This record gives sequence, structure tokens and C-alpha cells, in this order.
Amino acid sequence: MPRIRFTNLFAERIGGVNSVDVQGATVESSLRALTDRHPNLTPLVWAKDGALNSVMVVFLNDRQLGATETGTPVGPSDQIDIVPALEGG
Amino acid sequence: MRTSFNGSHSEPRAVVYARATIGLASRDVRVEDVPCRNLEDVLGGFGRSFQILAERTITHAFTPDNPLIINTGVLTASNVMTGLRTYFSAYSPLKVSNKGLPAAMWSAGSCKFGPKLKWTGLDEVILEGRADAPVYLVIRHTEQGPGITFEPAGDLLGLTCHEKIMWLRDRYADAHFAAIGPAGERYEDCYMASVALSTENQLRSGDDKCRWAGRGGMGAVMGYKRVLAIVAQAPDRITKLKPEIRDINKAASTGPGSRKFREKDKGGLGGTWSNYEPLEKFHFVPQNNFRPTGDGKPELMFREHVQPQFIVKAESCFRCGINCHKNVYEKNADGTRGAFLAKFDYEPVNLLSTNIGIHDPRKAATLISLVDRLGMDNISLGTTISYVMDYNERHPDAPILNGATFGDFDKARELIEGAATGRFPEVGRGVKRLSEQVRETGYAMHCKGLEFPAYQPDTNPGYPWAIAGGHMSMATYMALALEGNTSLDYWASLITGRGLLFVRDDLVGLCKFAGITADHAVEGLKHEIGFEVTSAELLAAVRRSFVRALWLERKQGYDRSDYTLPSEVFDRPNPNLGVPPFVTREFFSQLSDRVWAVFDREIDEIAKA
Repeated sequence: MPRIRFTNLFAERIGGVNSVDVQGATVESSLRALTDRHPNLTPLVWAKDGALNSVMVVFLNDRQLGATETGTPVGPSDQIDIVPALEGG
Repeated sequence: MRTSFNGSHSEPRAVVYARATIGLASRDVRVEDVPCRNLEDVLGGFGRSFQILAERTITHAFTPDNPLIINTGVLTASNVMTGLRTYFSAYSPLKVSNKGLPAAMWSAGSCKFGPKLKWTGLDEVILEGRADAPVYLVIRHTEQGPGITFEPAGDLLGLTCHEKIMWLRDRYADAHFAAIGPAGERYEDCYMASVALSTENQLRSGDDKCRWAGRGGMGAVMGYKRVLAIVAQAPDRITKLKPEIRDINKAASTGPGSRKFREKDKGGLGGTWSNYEPLEKFHFVPQNNFRPTGDGKPELMFREHVQPQFIVKAESCFRCGINCHKNVYEKNADGTRGAFLAKFDYEPVNLLSTNIGIHDPRKAATLISLVDRLGMDNISLGTTISYVMDYNERHPDAPILNGATFGDFDKARELIEGAATGRFPEVGRGVKRLSEQVRETGYAMHCKGLEFPAYQPDTNPGYPWAIAGGHMSMATYMALALEGNTSLDYWASLITGRGLLFVRDDLVGLCKFAGITADHAVEGLKHEIGFEVTSAELLAAVRRSFVRALWLERKQGYDRSDYTLPSEVFDRPNPNLGVPPFVTREFFSQLSDRVWAVFDREIDEIAKA
């Protein structure tokens, strides 16, 4: 199962868990599986029109994916990171 | 910090920390071990310093009774990556209630001063009173414990922060430094003076690459006390890295939490500077005093447009693998790296370029570097300058100060120099006072006297509840762009829940950019000092500390009238923002009721305790 890792922004909504293993054949279906399991992550991951939230950036095994690449197939050892493109400091 | 556990490893009273109390007038120095009273004392940072400030009655920031507390977090100088924080806490000259009383404030900075201070044998230094003449303090590790001496600082007077640090570097080996600049020396005219902290890169290269405890005028308090610099001299005491800590560090340096701040070729997004792009999608990048125009000009400061003209090198603090410093250098004719110009972070870049109508990266670098040299907070200063320019655009026949208007680089530079040198104290004292003086407060972009960072107030009704600056002590500043939720339920829950937990790292000594989880922080505590606490207990202590800060604000006269937004947010909604205006007076009033219904109860509990 691919593993999805995320930042504290996500983790703090689901009891501090910062990664989840999901069933998914593509990056997008893996992210759908994540929000099916944790619906309160939905507003972070998906825009109201169902597309990926435009302020989120997805990495597959350390490679940043473009907005049109979420259909990329994934396997059991793959690692998906979803991170906000916006943080200050 | 020492522990003497007798059975339980969760008892705060089994932990003692080392404190030096320095009487600046009397030159008395008292070094003592102080038992922790509660978990906040163990964690350190503002969790501890605000309990000390709560014991004082202070009516003016510039009085001998106002202590300047310099402390560290429990994980400062530990092997946990980014454990580098130093905190400066005092009653602030800048953050004041409408009744005119100063509020408790802290400001944090990274790099090696904090670890060096800890390696002298001290966890905390309290500066009491005021020196008779300018001094710098030398804190040394000795065989007999921390040794503290006073040195005359005549040679340091008038030097920039960087020059002071270089002067000290040449005289003190194996040391790091905290210093104020000319602005801090003129504290009575410049309440936004900052404290510079030396970096390894700076000491080695000779480039002006300080880190900053910038917010809230802690440099002005230090200047009032006539302490121009502090030397922390001790050999490094790096202990063997435990496997558990190695795992935490690996998660911090390669995990999702730090991706935002890493370089693109290291699997990152390029640092805070890269906030320009996602914010500009919504026209949320402040322009012309927080009034985005939708004209696309913010794009001129996107890194992809700036980088071809310069060399941008990602550099880091001591032992940090994130490389969040995006340092901009001249590009020589042969393409090699030339002189260092400035460090580009989103907030200073925006507030000293796009938000004052300047869209030229070289000019931005010049202004950022100038503010750094003079030792001021570029957020407070940039936002005050944008107010001056806005005022002058609205009053072309009766401009104030030097008549600066948006886009006027030379006059912006003049205002910066004037804020530090006493020519323009109206600027140096911040936008709250200036706007009250000229009687146009509606577009003065601050809450509670602290100027806004580079995030629109019309997208963030959480600003008023930030306790130490809008983007470092309340995680609501990017929420609208991230989630687009404008419901009362969402905002009330965010402000009273997840938003305030953002200050967790302001106790423990870590940098927010590491994105370390609460579980990792707990693991760090366990393996570095043997203290055992659950994540829930840790976060409860963070919450208590936050609520204590609100209670301290109340103690200093803050009431509901202080917790509001500039009136133009309500009265002059900006049609150029990419979302419909939602922060109406009615919305904000209802939100306030909801937020205070939660906080009032907790403040009462803290007050009773």
C-alpha cells in the first residue's frame, strides 16, 4: 500500500497521525482513499469543484508532481507527500 | 538544566534550570538553580518567561523594573535538529493597549547564540535595572560555573549590528553574540528595534547574515538598559547522537514538514519567498499598504523572475539540514557568485517592496539589508512605511514626514534611516502611535500595536488574538487560501483550537520550519533530558501558556476594543481580492463573542491559579 505523509496541518486534525497507508492505484485514488477514511481532511486536499486544492503540492517519492500528474500510478512501496505551498515565518 | 528524578520522570519539580539574574546598575550577579514549578517551566521559552513577567507590575516599557529575560527552550542546544532558539521576553514598547500600558511580548531567533548560552551553563538570564553607561556582557563557561563580566561598550556605539558582531568576533574566540544596532541605541525614538544573533556563516564569511529576534521591540528594551551586546563564550558541548534523535532529525530534514522551506532540488518548495505564487493566485499579496490591486505586479518578485539576475544560495543555521536561508548574491559577469546582498524571505521582501509599490528586487535587497544593518524589525517598519505612503497618497496637499508615496525608493530609504537615527521617530514608534497622532487609524495595519506581517487582514479575522505577532503566534493567516472556509464555526474553532497551538515551538526551543510533530517533540524530551510527558500534556501546557498571555494582556488594560481589525477591513472591502469579502462587522462581532466565550473561561482559571 502506498504511504501518504503530511504536515502538522493535516496531522493535528486526525489525532496527531502524520502518515497513513492507503489502498490506491494512482496518486489521486490514494488521496481519495485518504479523505474517505478521514473526511475532515477533505477541505485541505480537495477544492470545492473536486479538483486537487490548488494551494497543495504533491510529491511522489520526492518528485514534485504537476497538477496534471495526479493520475500517476503508484505501487505498494511508493511514498506520497502532500504539503501546503503556503507557510510563513 | 539538571534533573534528579526519584521514581517518576514526569515531575516538573525534579527539573532545575540555571538562571543568572544580573543587576545592571548594581552589577550584582546571582547565579542559581531554580526548581521548575510546572511543565511550562520545564519547557522554557515564553512558557516560563511569561510567568515571570506576570509577577511584575509594569506601566512603561522603559523603566528599570521591566526585566529583559533571555532564555532558551528545553531542546535548545540538544541534538534535535533546529534546537537553536533563543527567546527575548519583556514588556514591549511597541505592543501596547489602548489604555497605553505595555504588553508582555517575546521574540525568538535561531542559530548558535542560544546553544552557546546554554553551554556556558545557563538556561536563562534576567537583565534587571539599567546600566549607568553602555556596556556589553560577557558570559563565559568556567570550571566554577558561568562567569559574567561587564565590559565598557564605547567602541561599539554607533556600529551596525553586523559591525558590532564582527568587532566582538575578533576579540572572543569560540563565542556567539547578540547585539542591537543604532536603532536600539536610540530606543526612545525607535520602539521597533530588534536583536541580532550571530550565525556560524556570518562569523566565518564576514557577510552580514544575522538571525533576528525582531518583533515587539526587544532591541529597544535592551537599548534602554544600555546593554549593546552579549557574548556567550563556551566550548561546544555536543553529545553523542542517540538513534531515536537521529530518526527525529531524519524526519525533520527529509519529511513533509520541512518541504516548504527546502530547496526545489532537495525536494522542497523554495522557502517562504515562494509564498508569493500561491497568494497571488487569489490576489492576496499585499500591495500599497495591504490593498491588492490585481494588476499582476507581485509577480515581478517571484523567485523565478528574480533568480536569473542574481545568485540565490540556500544556506542554513548551525547543524540544520533544511537550508531555509535564501541568500541573494550579486552575479558576476562570468556567472560566479559575487557579494552578498540580502536574505530573501517572503515577509521582508513583500513589506519592503511590493507593499510599498516597489517592484525591483535589487531595491528590495538594498532596503532589507539597510533595515538589518540598523537593527529594526522589517515587518513593523515596512508596514509603518506603507502607512506613511498611503496617508500621503490620500493627502497630496498635506503630506507627512518626507512626503513619500508608493514606489518612491529614495524616500523609503530616507524613512528607514530616519527611523533608526531619530529623524523620523514617528516611524520608529510604529503605526499605532503614528496613526493616532494624525487621526487616521482606519488603515493602520496592526493589532494591539504590532504591525501586520505580509498577509491580508481581510483574509484573517484571527489576527487580533495573536499574542506575539500575526504570523508567528496564531496559525490563521493562511487559512482562507488553504481551505476557503468563511463560516463562523470554522473560524471560532480555528482560533480557539489549532491556531493557538502554533506557539508550541516557542516554548521548547525548536524552529517551526522543521515541522516536527508533537510526538517527536515528546520523544526529544524523553531522550535528551529524560523527562516523560505525553503529547496531550505537552499541548495542554502550550495552551495554558497562550491563555496566560491573553490574561497578561488583560492585566495590562486590554479590553474588547483592542481586539479588532483596522476599520477599513469592514468599511472598505477590496473588490480585487479573489474571494468575496466575508469579514464584516457583524461577522467579526459574532466571531468575537464565540472566541471570548471560550477564552474568558480559561483566562479566569489561569487568573485564579
